[in-house]
Amino acid sequence: MSARFSFAEDVSQALLVAGGGLFALAFVLLLVELRLRGAGARLVTLSGCLALLLLALALLRPVRVQAEASLVGARVVMLVDRSRRMLLPDGKSTREIAARDAARAVRQGMSDARISVLGFAEGEPTPLSLDALGPTRGDDSDLVAALGALSRAGGERPEAVVVVSDGRLTRPLPNLRDAELSRLVGELGVPIHTVLVTEREPPDAAVRALQTAGAAVAHQPLALRIEIACSGGLECNELPVEVRELRQGEPPAVLASGVAKLAGAPSATLELSITLDRAGPRIVEVVTTAPEGDAVPENDRRIVTFNVARQRVRLLHVAGRPTYDVRSLRRWLKADESVDLVAFFILRTDDDTPMTSDDSELALIPFPVDELFTEHLPSFDAVVLQDIDAVTYRLAQHLPALERYVRAGGGLIMVGGPSSFGGGGYARSPLERVLPVEIGEPTRPFDLGEFVPRYTAVGRVAPPLLPLRELVSEDLPRMVGSNTLGAARDGSIVLWEHPDRSTKGGGPMPVLALGDAGDGRSIALAVDGTHELAFSEFAERTAGRAYGALWDGLLGWLMRDPRYEAARVRLAEPCVAGQKAKLEVTRLPGTEGELELVVEPLGVNEAKPSVHRAPMPASGSLVVEVGPFTPGGYSAHARVGKSPPTRFDFACERGGPAWSDTRPDAARLERIAKLSGGRFVTKSAAGSLPKPPPTEVATLREVTPIVPAWAWALVAACALGWHWIERRRAGLA
Amino acid sequence: MTEFSRRSALGLAALSAFFPSPAGAFGEASAFNPRLLSAGARQNLRGRETGAARWSWELVRRTSAPARLVAGRVNADRPDLCAEPFAIWAGDSDVGSLSSSEVRGLSRFFALGGLLLVDDSAPEAGAFARSARRELARVLPESPPVRLDPSHVVYKTFYILDRPYGRAPGTGSIEAILRGKMAQAVFVGTDLLGALSRVGETWAFEVPGGNMQRERAIRLAVNLAMYVLCSDYKDDQVHAPWLMRRRAGLRR
Repeated sequence: MSARFSFAEDVSQALLVAGGGLFALAFVLLLVELRLRGAGARLVTLSGCLALLLLALALLRPVRVQAEASLVGARVVMLVDRSRRMLLPDGKSTREIAARDAARAVRQGMSDARISVLGFAEGEPTPLSLDALGPTRGDDSDLVAALGALSRAGGERPEAVVVVSDGRLTRPLPNLRDAELSRLVGELGVPIHTVLVTEREPPDAAVRALQTAGAAVAHQPLALRIEIACSGGLECNELPVEVRELRQGEPPAVLASGVAKLAGAPSATLELSITLDRAGPRIVEVVTTAPEGDAVPENDRRIVTFNVARQRVRLLHVAGRPTYDVRSLRRWLKADESVDLVAFFILRTDDDTPMTSDDSELALIPFPVDELFTEHLPSFDAVVLQDIDAVTYRLAQHLPALERYVRAGGGLIMVGGPSSFGGGGYARSPLERVLPVEIGEPTRPFDLGEFVPRYTAVGRVAPPLLPLRELVSEDLPRMVGSNTLGAARDGSIVLWEHPDRSTKGGGPMPVLALGDAGDGRSIALAVDGTHELAFSEFAERTAGRAYGALWDGLLGWLMRDPRYEAARVRLAEPCVAGQKAKLEVTRLPGTEGELELVVEPLGVNEAKPSVHRAPMPASGSLVVEVGPFTPGGYSAHARVGKSPPTRFDFACERGGPAWSDTRPDAARLERIAKLSGGRFVTKSAAGSLPKPPPTEVATLREVTPIVPAWAWALVAACALGWHWIERRRAGLA
Repeated sequence: MTEFSRRSALGLAALSAFFPSPAGAFGEASAFNPRLLSAGARQNLRGRETGAARWSWELVRRTSAPARLVAGRVNADRPDLCAEPFAIWAGDSDVGSLSSSEVRGLSRFFALGGLLLVDDSAPEAGAFARSARRELARVLPESPPVRLDPSHVVYKTFYILDRPYGRAPGTGSIEAILRGKMAQAVFVGTDLLGALSRVGETWAFEVPGGNMQRERAIRLAVNLAMYVLCSDYKDDQVHAPWLMRRRAGLRR
């Protein structure tokens, strides 16, 4: 039991300061009075000082505090690095195991202390059990964020912090000045002891860093800075580097290649220019070939996702003859500022007689079919083939290239007309394989019967047609004839069907269908009368806006505009090879039914895609666990009910950026310890960290006033009265 | 697939001209159709009715564009004016005042993006052209006609031309009411239909410049049809360098 004196606990700091100031002023005035009046003012001064003293005591009301306290071990927070980097091999074990052993040694060495063990990686640290570590938590080792969270936390402040890591921290950065580093790690105001879990530097060649200059934009060259490094005594001279794009159903496309010339240096940087032609998430891998002896082959390859933006949709519109249907489509495309249109219309055939002496009187140029479909084809985001005969205009020889173009991510729309589909020589052609419908070899390539297309069940909920349906409901103009189409391909969606015609299989003939083909998408429209939505008595109802609504939806879907996707898919957290990945699927309003999620690796493979089915909640999103996967690129196709599928590509890495630099960083841990007043040790000396002094914890506390408050007030009032009398006697006011 | 030659198709089409039919078959519903507009209190074509059909015939013969060989008539106050985006308003005298329903009909036609060709059958007097301008000013009050520059796309949509041609010499230029870059009404003061019209096996009207002038009038008609079908296609950047070279060659 200990006892001490104090003041009443209800007296605030502000009151103390204000009272102190007033009393000091009064005391000074008394001294001035004494000096001016000499001995005659002695009693006045004496009574005044006494009155001031008693007044102060009446205000402060002294108390006696009796307390009973005990000593407990100091509170220590141990921060154990839980980034994915700790899964790196360390001899026959891993850094994660080394960290766990070091943490146990620290706990043993500070047996008297109250130790909280937290794991840190990205964001705030979380409690960690050293007996069951659980999965790692991310690519980063953000010590600054972890210390910041500790300083913001309420409750008892720790007396010391112990950091257990390999030192290759994301924050604080390695090259900070002492003042800046002190500021970052000194916020808590306690010593930070650091424990280096390993001193082993594995022999390793790695893709250490990838940097891009600016954002990735479709068709625009993008400078990719690649740092290739060798460490741990591995001898590297020249390492080949290749950048490839992973595509569905296609072998990886080499975008660029080069050689990193290390010649004994620890690292070399090379800049490669790549051009991604397709917008949206594109999966790119950067691969180097390491020399023998590389202990960490996983970081020889980085697989990253580029979210490629598109400035404008670059579209090639090729029409076999000018018609009102061509006119409407061209006018709409030209009016859309987001479309960069390149158009070629066949205005004259060999059978036509222009009545000229020579071609110089004509404003016609030869159809550059070879140039367009070889050299320039990859530069287009989409191609519209409208009523053009593939045989007559030598397009047939380029159909294999057009098929590859679609499979590599391009968009294709075939618009109906007498020379489209079977009437244009596309039946059994390579292009038919990427259309959403079969053409077959019909006896009649087109039919002359008038009809009004009918919405299918899918068409009623498909986002690409929602804007049109909002304007004209399910009404459509009468069409004069239709191309003959076969059944829809597996995975394709039919939005409009013919009310009278049927396929060979007996089902209604598709009129408007869309589907995926490899990385690309295609649309088949078996009529040449959608211009009736732009200009006709029917079009008057909407002032022609229905045409734009239809084509906005079709082109938007073709270009994977999220507005026209039936669902949205994203990774709930980064995909790590070997662990389950979480895909979050959000359905759009209007779509309903069961979710079918099909995940398959990008590239050419025989592997059976994994299929997951789950009921979609009425609102919100659904997280589906898929995998685990091997390192690579993957494509997820989510389909809610009968709506068209939505595609989402993602990358899975074993180590990712966390494994890009395998060297432990002892120097950084040492600086952190030194600048915060802590101690740096290696794993072997983890048990020898200094123990912080124990903390005194009060268990009993009693506060007793020395004199009751009213007594202090009475005595002070008497003293003030005496002082007033003395002043009157001395003739003072 | 059986391929029909363009000539046999043309023959069949010419034959079909004797059997007037509505919209037509697959591919024909979106074919060029030079409909003759009936509007105003007075309108006299004076034998130019066949000019529209000849226009289609020449278009099919010379180009890949399909066209309706039986040209129809359409009234300005009827809903079917808005069935297709092109009509020809021709006459040789003052048309009088358009009724309010005709003004409304033409307004709807222009609002949808239609193109009206105003062809003065008697440009020497100019009464029709003046009255047509006056009445169109009621329909499109904020857009007065402007003279089209010789570099305008209408002079190069198919043939390279330097000025408008027809039965009469006209003023040497085409005027148009524009919305943005696109023409809504085109004024050709050369009696274009007069140069195209036939009576049996012969041309209906003499042309002062003879066959050469008539040929150029036909070329202008083809260009106008291509302008309707392809709008400013020949203004696309991809065509520009090539056409510049060819124009330079013609000047030499």
